[in-house]
Amino acid sequence: MKTASRLPWRVCIAGLALLWLLPLYVMLANSLKTIREITQSQYVLPPGGFEVQNYAVALGVLRHGLVNSTLVALPATALAVLLGSGAGFFLARLRFRHSQAVFFAATIATFLPYQIVLIPLTQLLADLRLINTRPGLIVAYLLLNTPMAALITATFFQTVPAEMQEAAALDGCGPVTFYWRILLPVAQLGLLSTAILIFTTIWNEFLIPTAMTQGTFNQLATPVLAGLKGNYAQLWHIQMAGATLTSLPPLALFVFLGRYFVSGLMAGTLK
Amino acid sequence: MAYTRAHALLFLAPLLLIVLVMYGMMAWTVAVSLDDWVGMAPVWKYHGLENFRTLLGGALRERLFTSLRNNLIWLVVFIAPTTALGLFLAYGLDLVGRAERVLRPLFLYPIALSFVVSGTLWAWMYDPDAGVINNLFRMLGLGRWAQPWIADPHLATFCLVGAAVWQYTGFAMTLYLAAIRDMPREIFEAARVDGATDVQTFRHVVIPNVGHATMIVVAMLILVTLKVFDLVWVMTFGGPGISTEVLPFFMFVATFRQQFVGIGAAVSVLILILAVAVVVPYAWWSMRRLAA
Repeated sequence: MKTASRLPWRVCIAGLALLWLLPLYVMLANSLKTIREITQSQYVLPPGGFEVQNYAVALGVLRHGLVNSTLVALPATALAVLLGSGAGFFLARLRFRHSQAVFFAATIATFLPYQIVLIPLTQLLADLRLINTRPGLIVAYLLLNTPMAALITATFFQTVPAEMQEAAALDGCGPVTFYWRILLPVAQLGLLSTAILIFTTIWNEFLIPTAMTQGTFNQLATPVLAGLKGNYAQLWHIQMAGATLTSLPPLALFVFLGRYFVSGLMAGTLK
Repeated sequence: MAYTRAHALLFLAPLLLIVLVMYGMMAWTVAVSLDDWVGMAPVWKYHGLENFRTLLGGALRERLFTSLRNNLIWLVVFIAPTTALGLFLAYGLDLVGRAERVLRPLFLYPIALSFVVSGTLWAWMYDPDAGVINNLFRMLGLGRWAQPWIADPHLATFCLVGAAVWQYTGFAMTLYLAAIRDMPREIFEAARVDGATDVQTFRHVVIPNVGHATMIVVAMLILVTLKVFDLVWVMTFGGPGISTEVLPFFMFVATFRQQFVGIGAAVSVLILILAVAVVVPYAWWSMRRLAA
């Protein structure tokens, strides 16, 4: 009786789920169609075969962008999590008079729309001769994401039992040893969640490379995809192959490490 | 655990330095907004509030107010359905039991995509001639429902909002689901014993208990609307005409395309003023929670 009465809920949610899946389906299905199939405009029908050639064409355009995005997002994420977790540890686990003030200031720096610092950031990198380079992009992303990493790791570190820290202190363990040897290993899943959130944020970001890079050599994947959309107008199969390639890394994290993806997403709101 | 000044320096200095640089850059933007800076090289020619006058009452008035109006549309038309649908789905998923594990990711996956990916995808969905939506309508014999979508200046902003709703509903849903799961199960039991239907439970038990989650969701979504740039760039580039321009897009074009850097900085300051109203209370609130 109870289950039967919930049938409308199931039907309603399943229907909405199909609607939510439609764009993903359209993207994948059409990325595998031939130009002939595309011109027949039966977009919701499945592809007749697997036209892998589309991916070769899209990869030809996106190759540099995907490599650059990887070479920027990975080190920027690692550094942001390393520097941020040190501060997160200090704020969450040590008695520090100004913890709250630092936390407050870092929260504001994290959540204010970063358009507000875009002009000076561009100027700063130009002055450092880092504009239009990968190290420049890493510096920009480090500035924008380290405060976030500090806040999130602080919330994860707070869940580590106080007894563990007291026992370590009694054994003569100082802050550095405790942070590096005990806290980081114990909180590694929290660190993983933080890293996933920050990597995804950087990989998907568009405004920074649009403002700070030119040409194709140092361009990241997102602006290259935006350019591909213009250059392959009406060639939906190529556009969709490019969109699929660009979304692979974050989607893979979502599919294979879903739990940590979600916990990072939640922690990112400081809830 | 005891620590020395050297420890404080080691752990805290990188964050403090970065936060200081961020605040310094904000102050820098405010300073630029008061200067008549045109071109790429810095020009420190102070001219007071002239940039703001140009924006609010001068040559750029219409353009600024188009952006402001669109940001307002985003605020209302994006947040209300995303929040409502997110809450509805969260409660629904809580009800359907084990199927939740399969269904939840189907709503959440869009949040993993870049706005550039979803923009590429949705620009095609909404294409007036060869778009997926119109194509689907014609296939189903509903050809008269076909619309010019993003080619229609009155409809275009709503189309962009639609893509964003698709992308963020799962995010709202996940926060609400966590809030519902945090509620004591006895409340639901009591409602059931009293003979409440699912809809009554939703209205009288769930809604009064998720205010906290609503605050988080709404604050986060407001910040999304104040940052929205990528979707506009990829899907319409502000067009048709300037009908889909929003503040961040206007700021970018003014600064980096037309090189009216002073004007761009002034638009940034307007965004700053709007964002501070949300971010400062939010930061205050979460700081208090850290202390607790």
